[in-house]
Formats: sequence, structure tokens, C-alpha cells
Amino acid sequence: MARSVWKGPFVDGYLLNKAEVSRASGRNEIIKIWSRRSTILPQFVGLTFGVYNGKKFIPVQVTENMVGHKFGEFSPTRTFNGHSADKKAKRG
Amino acid sequence: MARIAGVNIPTNKRVAISLRYIYGIGPKNAKDIIDHLGIPEERRVNQLTDEEVLRIRELIDREYRVEGDLRREEAMNKKRLMDMACYRGLRHRKGLPVRGQRTHTNARTRKGKAVAIAGKKKVTK
Repeated sequence: MARSVWKGPFVDGYLLNKAEVSRASGRNEIIKIWSRRSTILPQFVGLTFGVYNGKKFIPVQVTENMVGHKFGEFSPTRTFNGHSADKKAKRG
Repeated sequence: MARIAGVNIPTNKRVAISLRYIYGIGPKNAKDIIDHLGIPEERRVNQLTDEEVLRIRELIDREYRVEGDLRREEAMNKKRLMDMACYRGLRHRKGLPVRGQRTHTNARTRKGKAVAIAGKKKVTK
């Protein structure tokens, strides 16, 4: 079920501060965040975030059409490299 | 023979049924259309007057997104997700279920027909 509109989008508060600080500093450095559950807001557009996936910070350059999605959507937590073939069967 | 919204030629069925042959018009929309135009439910397509056919055609053109336009819109939405490289986009790319369904078993609609794993040992009794 979708979130009630009256609540507004969910964002961890400190992200707003972090974004502000980074904007003010002018350098476009990666902002490390752990808050995968936060919604991407319009004021984040253009910034680069490092979204933690449990192991690494995945750099995410926020573009306009990412607004409304969550940070976690852009930082996959699972790796799948395909199944290995059965060695015995290969030989035989 | 009635041509509505491009290539669709539904024949001697009830109007509400044959309208559903158009991509983008299902039971609900078909019912809405005939109700809106005051066409009785038991009327069949080959009993429609030219004027009625025309009105159906106009209504669909005006109010509904069907066939090519709808397909294009869908493709655009998919492409948007894929270009963003978000989770849903990745699932679309890989042809796996997008909305969190299990893939351990089933998911055959998305994955297509089962393919035998190369080199898997057969169980012998």
C-alpha cells in the first residue's frame, strides 16, 4: 500500500543537513550515507551520494527522474555471478 | 466488419466483448464505452449502425490510450527504470520478477520456459 500523502515523504533528517553542507562547500564529493530507506528529494538532485550496501558505498549520481525513489533502490545488496557448472559432468 | 482504433476487427460478438480485442480495453473500459454511448448490451458488432461505429471510434480516440500509444508508453516506463539503474530496472533487464516474488521456484512467466542446466547429474536409482 502506498504511503499517506499527508505524512509527506520519509527522509532521515540528517540527510538534509549533509546535503546542505555539501551544497555550500561547492565541491562535489561523495556524501556517504547509510540511510537506504530515505526518499530522494528534489533538493538532492545533482549531488553524488555513496549509498551503503552492507559492504561498500555505491556512488549514486542523483538525477531528476530518481526523485521519489529510495536511495536503497540504487545500491544493490546482492551479487549473483551465475551458477557454476558441475565439474564431474563436464569431464564425462 | 468494423475497424476501430487501427487494425482491430472484432466480428459478430457482442460489442462489449469485441471491444476487448483492442489492446488497452478490458472489461471495465468496454462496459464504460457502451454505457456512455447508450448501446444496449446485447447488440452485436454487425448490428451497429455506421454512426454508432463512428461514435465508438471517436470516443476511444479521445478518451483512451490504446494499441501502439499504450505499448509505447509502457516501453518508455520500462526504459526509464532501466536507465536509472534502480532495482526495478535491473530486474527488467534480467527478465526476472520485478515486484519481489520468489524465484527459487515458479516465476516462469518472466523467466520463460525452463531450460535444462548444462552438465547437471541425473539422479539414478
